[in-house]
Amino acid sequence: MRRAAALGPGLVALCAVLAVVAFLSVTLGSRDIGLSEVLHALRSWDDDGSISGTVTLELRVPRTLLGILVGAALGVAGVILQGVTRNPLADAGIMGINSGAAAFVVVAITVLGLRGVGVYVWFAFAGAIVALILVYAIASFGREGATPVKLALAGAAVTAGLASVTSGIVMTNVDALNELRFWQVGSLAGRYAPILTGVAPFLLLGLAASLGFGRALNGLALGEDVARGLGQHIGRTRVAAFAVVAVLAGAATAACGPIVFVGLVVPHLARFICGPDYRWILPYSMLLAPIVLLLADLLGRVAARPDEVQVGVVLGVVCAPAFVAIVRYARLSEV
Amino acid sequence: MRAWRQILAVAVLSAALAGCGSGTDGGGDNAAASAGPWTFTGGSGEVVKADKTPTRIIAHAGEAAALMSFGIKPVGIYADESVKTDPNLKNLDLSGIEILGEEWGKIDVEKAAALRPDLIVGDWWPAEKAHSGMEEGVDEKSKKLAELAPITGVSQGKSIVELAEGYESLAKSLGAKVDSPEIAANKKRFEDAVTAFKAAVAAKPGLSVAAMSPADDKVYVANPAYAPELLDLQSWGLDVLNPASPDPGFPYWENLSWENADKYQPDLILWDGRSYTPTANADWGRKQPTWFKIKAAKAGAAVAWPAFWLHTYGDFATEMGKLTDAVKAADPNVSS
Amino acid sequence: MTATISKVDAAAQLDVAGRLRANRRRRATRSVTVTAGLAVLVFALFVLTMMVGSFRIGALEVVSSVLHLSDNAGVDFVVRELRLPTALAALAVGLALGASGTIFQQLLRNPLASPDFVGITSGAGLAAVVGIVVLQAGGLVISGLALGGAIASALVMYVLAWRDGISGYRFILIGIGVAAFLDGLTGFVLTRAQLFEARQAMHWLTGSVGQASDTELRLLIGGLIVLLPLAVLLQRPLRALELGDDSARTLGTRTELSRAALLGTALVLVALAVSVAGPIVFVALVAGPIANRLLGAATGGIVPAALVGAALLLAADLVAVHVLPTPLPTGVVTGAVGAPYLLWLLATTNRQGAGG
Repeated sequence: MRRAAALGPGLVALCAVLAVVAFLSVTLGSRDIGLSEVLHALRSWDDDGSISGTVTLELRVPRTLLGILVGAALGVAGVILQGVTRNPLADAGIMGINSGAAAFVVVAITVLGLRGVGVYVWFAFAGAIVALILVYAIASFGREGATPVKLALAGAAVTAGLASVTSGIVMTNVDALNELRFWQVGSLAGRYAPILTGVAPFLLLGLAASLGFGRALNGLALGEDVARGLGQHIGRTRVAAFAVVAVLAGAATAACGPIVFVGLVVPHLARFICGPDYRWILPYSMLLAPIVLLLADLLGRVAARPDEVQVGVVLGVVCAPAFVAIVRYARLSEV
Repeated sequence: MRAWRQILAVAVLSAALAGCGSGTDGGGDNAAASAGPWTFTGGSGEVVKADKTPTRIIAHAGEAAALMSFGIKPVGIYADESVKTDPNLKNLDLSGIEILGEEWGKIDVEKAAALRPDLIVGDWWPAEKAHSGMEEGVDEKSKKLAELAPITGVSQGKSIVELAEGYESLAKSLGAKVDSPEIAANKKRFEDAVTAFKAAVAAKPGLSVAAMSPADDKVYVANPAYAPELLDLQSWGLDVLNPASPDPGFPYWENLSWENADKYQPDLILWDGRSYTPTANADWGRKQPTWFKIKAAKAGAAVAWPAFWLHTYGDFATEMGKLTDAVKAADPNVSS
Repeated sequence: MTATISKVDAAAQLDVAGRLRANRRRRATRSVTVTAGLAVLVFALFVLTMMVGSFRIGALEVVSSVLHLSDNAGVDFVVRELRLPTALAALAVGLALGASGTIFQQLLRNPLASPDFVGITSGAGLAAVVGIVVLQAGGLVISGLALGGAIASALVMYVLAWRDGISGYRFILIGIGVAAFLDGLTGFVLTRAQLFEARQAMHWLTGSVGQASDTELRLLIGGLIVLLPLAVLLQRPLRALELGDDSARTLGTRTELSRAALLGTALVLVALAVSVAGPIVFVALVAGPIANRLLGAATGGIVPAALVGAALLLAADLVAVHVLPTPLPTGVVTGAVGAPYLLWLLATTNRQGAGG
């Protein structure tokens, strides 16, 4: 564990690392473009019609920016969820967000006959938020409100219920099946400036709001009774936290499909580096998560030329050992 | 053992009922073929026999269309989608034919049993080693269709022309008068269409063509080795591009990321007919910054390709007509 | 004085003993009545399932056809070849899921625990999809893989969750996490499939009693014949375990052995069910609580829970195939109906955090 003094400079160092990774993400990819061409395009910021210019400015730059925002959103959402539910295995996926988004996307495909990620974004966003609200509302019935167990089980129930309905619809429509199975894996490909500008406001807003949760999460980590004794309003904190998660994870999933593991693994990584203080864990996650996401995306783009492997797939494969380690060694008995 | 008992029972029942009813299937049409045993070698190599020529046929969508184009009307049809949208069936008059299913994997075998069929017709798929409707993954009940009557069909493989010819010979063995003027007219139309197509292609040497499908996250380039229509087009002289490195796990296509969309530069793009609309090209140009880096796309040189559904001479003739027009209008210098 | 007191004591004790005995008798009667009633319901649904279809067949005709008492070729084909296998599959899978669910719930001491949530069905799903897509296998091999996958993932979870014993809450949390992970992997495999393989895989993943072949069904029924009586035998250790490990030990139960046997039985039951019909959600979860509500004080019976499971699944199959405008897989109906029920259960359950 580093001492608090080292954490500030550490954060600055991470910013630098993120900048380097972002730069790599723009210069490397499934197409071999020379460094000088990339720099030329970036400097002139003008798509001169050449394929290099188009690829750099209209494909890679939006993709990188989206990766940064989405990665940060997922990482921070994971931190908040784990803190509020006191479940080290929590991430947006188990709270019904992914299945809610998928269900609404499938309805858009089959009932409304729409196609294309640009269209799915808004349905996925709506679906994610509806599912999360449903999960929270159900879990808060009863005497004790939204306890961790009830949240986990409500999430699993809503996920399973929505998944059944989704498969039922998809079974009757081969096109929907085909569209859905690719959307569901999570990818940064095919998402350009329109989607970036569409979701960026929500992501930026959510990220800014999330930074204020450090103290509240620290309080909750001490246990609900202690937190109440310290003057915290547990109920209000929970509602605010879920609202922020809804916006962050909802927009991220809407833009790129369900991307697993970032929200689950990065908070643990951050905790390992900075210790248990959420005021540090939040900003560290905000920087670590995009680094992980962009590196995974880069790997997928470079390893399979001229094709690409979706980032969701790379993350699944790479993060599996991390997941097992977390499950084995995380302090589940604390909750 | 059990299966044969059922078939025998059904055959006995149908023979009894046939005997009870008056012989309305007499007359000139099937006279030549109705007497004596019937046999046919299907695409799987299996030889199917019956004591007399089958007259009550249940067929899968495209195969039914093929038989109907030769004047053989099935008593029941099962399709993978609604019969109003299935490209093989939507323009046909299906009155008097029982629809046994409009979803892949689900055939109403109870209704089928009530129809007392004596032959089931479905394409043979060598890759799945099954006839249409009996592949892995269908409901167990649907597979019981095969217990009602012998099942046969032509193999899907290297050529649509061969597929159509296969169904022509099946229809002939079932008693269809393939030489009668209305029926032969379809084949003649097809042969004329092929002649016109070959002439158009020969008049444009240097015209290169690629079958491509844009998707949200990548571009798919079709591999003719797995698309019988494209193989036919190649055999008639059209220069259809063979992708250099098809996906090893999925060799129907080569996948290209959008950064590499301009890897192939054909003069004319064949668009998967199942997703083609008149504005498709322009829409994709708007959505994907690199789609118009393919010069043919930028020039609007795209035409629908009848992917994976053709079964009859008539339908193929219609599609060939559209392709011939496109070839005639194409500019062989787009990609240079 | 002493004599009077001891006489009063003895009388009081006799009274208590008598009341206890009366209680036990009442519970036993209630248990038997409920079980018998459920059995009748299940039988009625079983016959009803075979009566409906593209054309109706009378109940008497159905029964005589099944029992080989009549010999009408047309009716026999429809009933014995087409309708009986599905009805039997629904019955067997329902029994297995109901029994397995209630054992899990009692072992983990949480009415909201269910094999559905803890990664077992996800493991089966992943194994099956890998079999379909990568190995291009079919039929019995897929079922075998699903069985293996279910057991493997359960073992993995047991190992991961074990820390000086299993606590229910920890098991559930880990199970949900593992399930999500396996589902992600399954999604990945689906994108690497050809369309016809993906279609087959998704068909399997949705869960339907219609997809069971004869051999698979026979395996499941064989398993039921062996395991259900075993589960009934283990009912007493199960009740003892509910009192807590220490109390159970003093009552003479071998806790670890019983727990392992019970978990093993429940696991094989649910694995067999999933391998036959794919993942059908929620039946295992709600069968136990519904049975308990009917049983009142005689709570926790495994056979009534199994019968409730069978009734639920038969009813769901009836709805899925005949009542809805387009026939849907059974898993969709149980999901659509079970989810609201579960959520209501969550909202109204007062005992929370039990087993944590």
